[in-house]
Amino acid sequence: MPRGTSEVSEPMYFVLAALRGGPLHGHAISKSIQELSGGRVRPSVGTLYGILERLNERGVIAVDREETVNGRNRRYFRITDTGQALVEAEARRMYEVASLILRPTST
Amino acid sequence: MTALERHYRMLLIAYPRTYRAAHGDEIIDVLLASAGPTRSVPAVREALGLIIGGIRSRIAHLATGSAWADGVHLAVTAVSAANLAALLPYAGVLPWWTLLSALAMLAVLRGRPRAAFALTALTGVKAVAVAGGWALFDLTLVPVAPTFLTGDFLFERGGPFTVALGYAVVLLGLLALVWRGGPPRARSWWWWPVVPALAWAGPAWMPTGTPYALSLSRVAVEVAVFALAVMAAYLARDLRWALASGIYLLVASGELGSHAEFLTRQHVAYWGVLVLLTLGAVIVPYRPRRHCLD
Repeated sequence: MPRGTSEVSEPMYFVLAALRGGPLHGHAISKSIQELSGGRVRPSVGTLYGILERLNERGVIAVDREETVNGRNRRYFRITDTGQALVEAEARRMYEVASLILRPTST
Repeated sequence: MTALERHYRMLLIAYPRTYRAAHGDEIIDVLLASAGPTRSVPAVREALGLIIGGIRSRIAHLATGSAWADGVHLAVTAVSAANLAALLPYAGVLPWWTLLSALAMLAVLRGRPRAAFALTALTGVKAVAVAGGWALFDLTLVPVAPTFLTGDFLFERGGPFTVALGYAVVLLGLLALVWRGGPPRARSWWWWPVVPALAWAGPAWMPTGTPYALSLSRVAVEVAVFALAVMAAYLARDLRWALASGIYLLVASGELGSHAEFLTRQHVAYWGVLVLLTLGAVIVPYRPRRHCLD
């Protein structure tokens, strides 16, 4: 379980958003993050794997399966129920904050 | 293997060996798939990402197990390096005692507290005897002239108390580790280059003729190691590095205190920087969390 604050950093939010569509490997997660953020969020591979390892340690994501491609191991990650709850809570929080500005004002 | 893959594999050395063995190929795969077809050298952001990611991974790997036992072992390693550094310039005159001191440090590094205790006790008794001008074990003519690295005689301005403090701290730490049971982790071989840097009397930093002059190499190495401890404490939110810094600071303060009449503003500034960095290592683990992985 995440410790302390339940807030989610932006790259982490996009990792979890990418995995909501199903299990993905590292390169597919990287491409999905860029697509979902319109190219704005582009974590380096070192940063991405740091996030994946820590999310995995905290039970927010899990290794779904491992495959060997061209003699190299490849892990597919999936979001857990904890991760699903975390990213939904973050989306609700951002929606409430955004609605303060974006909802029509009554005159 | 392409030139790009070779470069990425070199950068992956930043990660712990076990992590590299388990996931190095997977990361290389993603790096190569992300790179353009004409790229032959890593992009700066990817290189930085690997170095920072590797350091984070190493620190996370180090911040496991008992914090107090690991902090004590880290302090014992640092003080053992300082004890060996005090003897190293006199290796030509005291070869066997310097070798014993090096073996003591090797035993500390490999996580053998019992062997380290015996070797440190033996070397420590001899070192205190030399500092006090007492004959013990073999005949040593004092003052002992240096062979290299410094121009000072052995323990020229340090009395037996100062020398005994360094060895006593190591012995007490090793006793605590023996009492706890279970071998401490093996430490990095990077501790060896610290020894000649601590022993070297140059480059000159204090005015010529300053009694009890500290060398710039020693100050730089100590400040760098203390700063690394603050960074590790910050990233891992763990107090083991604060404990190690505090114990080393105790020894350094004892040494400065025994030379109180020779201290200059530069000595006080050096001590102040070590105190600030130690306090930093104590405070940073309690910084507010920015997000759930922080």
